[in-house]
Amino acid sequence: MIASAAARPPDSPIGIGGESFVVELDRFQGPLDLLIHLIRSQDIDIFDIPIAHITRQFLQAIEGGLDRMPLERAGEFIEMSATLVRIKAQMLLPRPEKFEWEEDPRAELVRRLLEYEHFQDVVHVLQTAEAQRGRHMAKGYIEARPAPVIARPSLQVTLEELLQAAARIPEPLPPVSFRAPTATVTVGEKVSLLRRLIGKTKRVALDRLFKPWGTRAHAVAALLAALEMARQQVVRIEQTRPFSPIWLFASGRREGDAGPGEAASGAGTAIGEAAGERGGE
Amino acid sequence: MKPEQIVEATLFASQTPLTASELARADESLSEQEVETAIGVLRERYEADGRAFQIYQLGDGYQLLTRPEFAPYLERFDSIPRPPHLSPAALESLAIIAYRQPIGRIEIEDVRGVSATSVLRTLLDWELIEVVGRGEGLGRPLLYGTTGQFLEHFGLKSLGDLPPVDELPVALGAPEAPPDGEAAVPTTPSEA
Repeated sequence: MIASAAARPPDSPIGIGGESFVVELDRFQGPLDLLIHLIRSQDIDIFDIPIAHITRQFLQAIEGGLDRMPLERAGEFIEMSATLVRIKAQMLLPRPEKFEWEEDPRAELVRRLLEYEHFQDVVHVLQTAEAQRGRHMAKGYIEARPAPVIARPSLQVTLEELLQAAARIPEPLPPVSFRAPTATVTVGEKVSLLRRLIGKTKRVALDRLFKPWGTRAHAVAALLAALEMARQQVVRIEQTRPFSPIWLFASGRREGDAGPGEAASGAGTAIGEAAGERGGE
Repeated sequence: MKPEQIVEATLFASQTPLTASELARADESLSEQEVETAIGVLRERYEADGRAFQIYQLGDGYQLLTRPEFAPYLERFDSIPRPPHLSPAALESLAIIAYRQPIGRIEIEDVRGVSATSVLRTLLDWELIEVVGRGEGLGRPLLYGTTGQFLEHFGLKSLGDLPPVDELPVALGAPEAPPDGEAAVPTTPSEA
């Protein structure tokens, strides 16, 4: 298709076809930059671009170079190739005479090229401004000598401040002896305890299960026991609103006979029974 | 102390541009207006005396800088690694933002024909552009604009220092009317 439409001789002055051109592709910011170069370097009238000619040159220019580009960059060139081929195809189609200038398929491309060239001019303006600005030196341009390293105390305090600081140091705490609880608490124990409690009172506040023991192992075991029983659908865990107390209900029987106070005292008793091994406090 | 002496001392000691209101902080009796006046007095005096420096306006701020003709002498002392120049790709996007701000990434890419993502990050890192808002379109795209640092970097007083569109060799947009005949390009009035 490209070859069939190429009426113009491929008299490009930029040595298309050689590897050298492909390498130079890096020099271009993108497809518009390359197109501008092709057009301007051959003194082509931008308002009358020989699309077939330019398309062939463009394709030849990017051929081989695409492999070496990041995919995204290659895609940008390929997209422009597609645009050029589409324009060329459109130009081959017969157009109604009276709307000719409105329907020049090249119009949008030319607009983009001119716009791009405009901003290239702005780039030159900015480059010049940047270079000029670089010729004005501010204070500090010549680097200050590194400050001498003086061996001085980094912190200066008066004797009074030092004494005050010393006074703020708390008395050493009396030696604390910790006794690691040797007794282990199992989830199974807690399950049976919970069963007993639930059986007695029909409902238990979850936090009441934790409070009386005070050691983490007990709390974890109690929580796991509650979850395990909920999983087995022996109990139902409910909470009326966020952050309100969580209650365990005997499954299937929501109305407990005993109030939470009683449940707690019951729990307390049970703890008394079960927590003979309790260490710590 | 005279106002121009206070302003001169402050500018001399500063390594960054200072606005009139910042300079006025040097003394309670100093108003912004007096600072501006003092700067005018100093500028004329430096000019008349042929000093090697001058007060330049960079964005909103003023800074005491050497005159460009002394750059070759000072560059001999150049031991500080200079900030690298902006790449052509970065300048391209910056040019588009400067003239079209506020503008989104997609519109920048439309003009350049290439992706602008990494370049925008560079410009944001350099604080030459900033996010100035969000567009109305799909996904409420970020809109970018130039910063005071942009003016400072290029030694501009304001965006007005950039050449107006019609002074550039190629006018922005398509020509007013298609040049005679069939090969002409239509105007695209929708393009502002």
